Amino acid sequence: MHVEMSSFLTKHKENLKILVNMLSEEYKYVSILGVDTKGKTYGIQRTGVSINDSMWSERGFVVRVHNGINYSEFSFNEISIDSLSEIAEEIKNKLNNDLEGLKATSINQASYSIIDEDAIEKQFLSQVEILPETVSSKEKIERMTKLMNKGLKCSNYLLDFRVRYEEVHISKIFISNNKDLEQSYIWSQGVLVPIVRKDSITKYCFEGVSGLKGVEVFDELEVKYEEAVSKAVKLLDAEKIEPGVYDIICAPNVTGLIAHEAFGHGVEMDMFVKNRAKSVEYLGKPVASQLVTMHDGATAIESVSSYLFDDEGTLGTDTVIIDKGILKTGISDLLSSLKLGTKPTGNGKRESFERKAYSRMTNTFLAGGNDRLEDMIASIEKGYLLEGMMSGMEDPKNWGIQCMLLQGKEILNGKLTGRIVSPVIMTGYVPDVLKSISMVSEEVEIDGCGMCGKGHKEWVKTSDGGAYIKTKGRLG
Amino acid sequence: MTNKLLKILSSIKDIDGWKINEEKVESSELFFVKKQIDMNRGKRVHKYQVTVYKNFEEDGNKYTGSSTINISPNTDEDEVMENINEASFAASFVKNQAYPLVKPCDTVQPNMESKFFQASIAQWLPKLTEAIFKADNKENGCVNSAELFLNKKNTRIMNSEGLDVSYDSYSGQLEFITNWTEEGEEIELFKDIKFSDYNPDMIAGEVENMLNISKEKAMAVPTPSLKNQTVILTGSPLKKFFSYYFTHSNAQAIYEKISTAKLNENIQGEDIKSDLVTITLDPFLKNSSISSPYDNDGFPLQKVAIFEDGILKNYWGDQRFSSYLDIKPTGRIDNFIVECGSKSIDELKNEPYLELIEFSDFQMNPLTGDFAGEIRLGRYYDGNKVIPVTGGSISGNIKEAQKNMYLSKEMQQDNNFVGPKSIQLFNIDVAGN
Repeated sequence: MHVEMSSFLTKHKENLKILVNMLSEEYKYVSILGVDTKGKTYGIQRTGVSINDSMWSERGFVVRVHNGINYSEFSFNEISIDSLSEIAEEIKNKLNNDLEGLKATSINQASYSIIDEDAIEKQFLSQVEILPETVSSKEKIERMTKLMNKGLKCSNYLLDFRVRYEEVHISKIFISNNKDLEQSYIWSQGVLVPIVRKDSITKYCFEGVSGLKGVEVFDELEVKYEEAVSKAVKLLDAEKIEPGVYDIICAPNVTGLIAHEAFGHGVEMDMFVKNRAKSVEYLGKPVASQLVTMHDGATAIESVSSYLFDDEGTLGTDTVIIDKGILKTGISDLLSSLKLGTKPTGNGKRESFERKAYSRMTNTFLAGGNDRLEDMIASIEKGYLLEGMMSGMEDPKNWGIQCMLLQGKEILNGKLTGRIVSPVIMTGYVPDVLKSISMVSEEVEIDGCGMCGKGHKEWVKTSDGGAYIKTKGRLG
Repeated sequence: MTNKLLKILSSIKDIDGWKINEEKVESSELFFVKKQIDMNRGKRVHKYQVTVYKNFEEDGNKYTGSSTINISPNTDEDEVMENINEASFAASFVKNQAYPLVKPCDTVQPNMESKFFQASIAQWLPKLTEAIFKADNKENGCVNSAELFLNKKNTRIMNSEGLDVSYDSYSGQLEFITNWTEEGEEIELFKDIKFSDYNPDMIAGEVENMLNISKEKAMAVPTPSLKNQTVILTGSPLKKFFSYYFTHSNAQAIYEKISTAKLNENIQGEDIKSDLVTITLDPFLKNSSISSPYDNDGFPLQKVAIFEDGILKNYWGDQRFSSYLDIKPTGRIDNFIVECGSKSIDELKNEPYLELIEFSDFQMNPLTGDFAGEIRLGRYYDGNKVIPVTGGSISGNIKEAQKNMYLSKEMQQDNNFVGPKSIQLFNIDVAGN
């Protein structure tokens, strides 16, 4: 079923065009991004139920202008045909006043050229099997309640079995003198969180599904409850890992975390502008084993960060970041590409209409290879199969990596022993990890349940994943 | 829009209560690359959040269902009505144990204090900019880039019980990166600070400190592998470390059995010979960006003691979860103060130690008590000399670590956290080279 464009944005489209024209009398480049995102988050656990608007819900606009030297932006969320002149004046006054006061300091403005846009008019409306509005919140909660009750019956160790479901309908409109773009799409996700306790030990894990989908994600979620509970219960007997360097196999969501933290953040090209990315020195050079090919892009694969255009009106692409071990290029927002003289890749994303656009990841993954998981396990004398990503942190300048992982399954003499260590922190030097990749499985899985920050803020929706990979890692 | 909302809410007979959270935010943002402005941004937004409540009974049990929706000021009346009706329908099967809404009271709460009230946002930008770059005068290091945000906010909270409170506040945020080069490659470190008052010395001091730390990192060698190591955590990791106690004294965590902490029991265990934690929540903590006179429900906030010498004295919680536990609500207070300890930092360093100052992202899992982080900068003292180290990681569990830990006499403030500057932990494993 086709997803419908926001009637709110459609209604105000002409107002936005008038505002662009008004501001164009003062500024040589003007664009407006309009956003209308509706979403609901449903939660159920032993002690209660919640149905609230999603954290991604928003409705508003952001104007970008070339102020004669570089770019200024203004975010607002009140508009009407009668208030357009007032809004235009407010934008001019606010942006000019803020810059005027700074002239008394030793700080000046970096210069940027004027964005040269090709004329383009396009629309993208995604399709889902079941539109969220066709299923009532009552039906969704009933389905989640059944799932929770089934989960709770799986083990006496369960303290709780939480079920989360979120549906987000995003509509965006981008208007400038040459561009007229519209898009509307839906992503959904469901997550199971069994929490188990034995004596004073408490453990939990996540099992999730996601995609550019509607209510149909429930079907995928409902078959995962036994696996989720079993995984959590096994964690109760997990041991502490002996710190050291091991042969490791990374499950697809761990591979995705490595791809994301290691060479996703590391090739965000706004970092090139700031001289914060070590990867600049390695463009065209080997940074990983020949088995490694890494993609990022809104069109690279269909997942939660697939779209027609980014938050600066650049069409999404599929960027091959690493091709058979060679670092090819980065991912870029529009202004960084202006500064660097490169082509933007459609990776300019904002947390919301209230925030700045940065170079951000979309759907990031390592492509599959030719190996089989069982052969990878058989090839390891002593090591771990790492599963479950909890969080990660980038270090684009110095190429460190931090991956917080749920568990490691011990491998001895080519076999899984059943012994589990948890939690596991994997650290290391990015090229060491990537150059050590010696086997890559055929199957590729993408996980879009998480989100990505830049530093410690600017949260955006991303997906990542890849194949099972065999490499070496320092675990603690 | 407020009147429109009030009119619509009063016209819907199907609901038993409502709450409106209104926010008007004006802000300016500056993005610097080196000592140049790369972009400036402004913002003026007006937001409404509406919660509707429905009371109902099933099988003899009383429930209060609720659903919260966001309303944009541009939303027309038909759409507002449709959204509120949908929320009302949803609330009718949100089976949460019944609880009362916050009632209006005569308590007069103090206004939020900040020098930022004395001038416009535009007038503060050059002063803050000067503070950021005051210490950026080193030969081998610099501020690589910085992002400055200054927000002026008006908050109003109303509910169907007649509550109607409002207050003005400021919040600021500065994120900056420092570089340093010694003989090897250039290194960088990251810092994020939040504030609510104009304090140029604090900003300049943070930048100076990060430049000094960056110099150390540029000289650092790989962290060695160490077993059963005495570790001193210093600076920013401590806010996350002590957040474990904040979480475990929360009424919601108790109600959901996530926390098993009991009143008048020592959370650190019995017969603890080392330092014990004493923690207070203070809604008016100076220079915290999240200080406020009321919580999100409009409950008037006051300072409250949580732990005294490890003993849990009070749970803290909002109206809903406090009523479930049948305790006096404190409201939601996110500023926490941990009393300093018995030893000076010099005393903590009397024996060999690994002092950890900067992590990639120090993590404390409040549910399991596990903590871990990749080391970006540490100081390793083997009994002879102190050397800066980088790389590798530590991991541990607070339930074990708290049985033997010492808190420094010296204190620090990190936005909503005031506490010891350093703590000493024992028998920590370090994954290194």
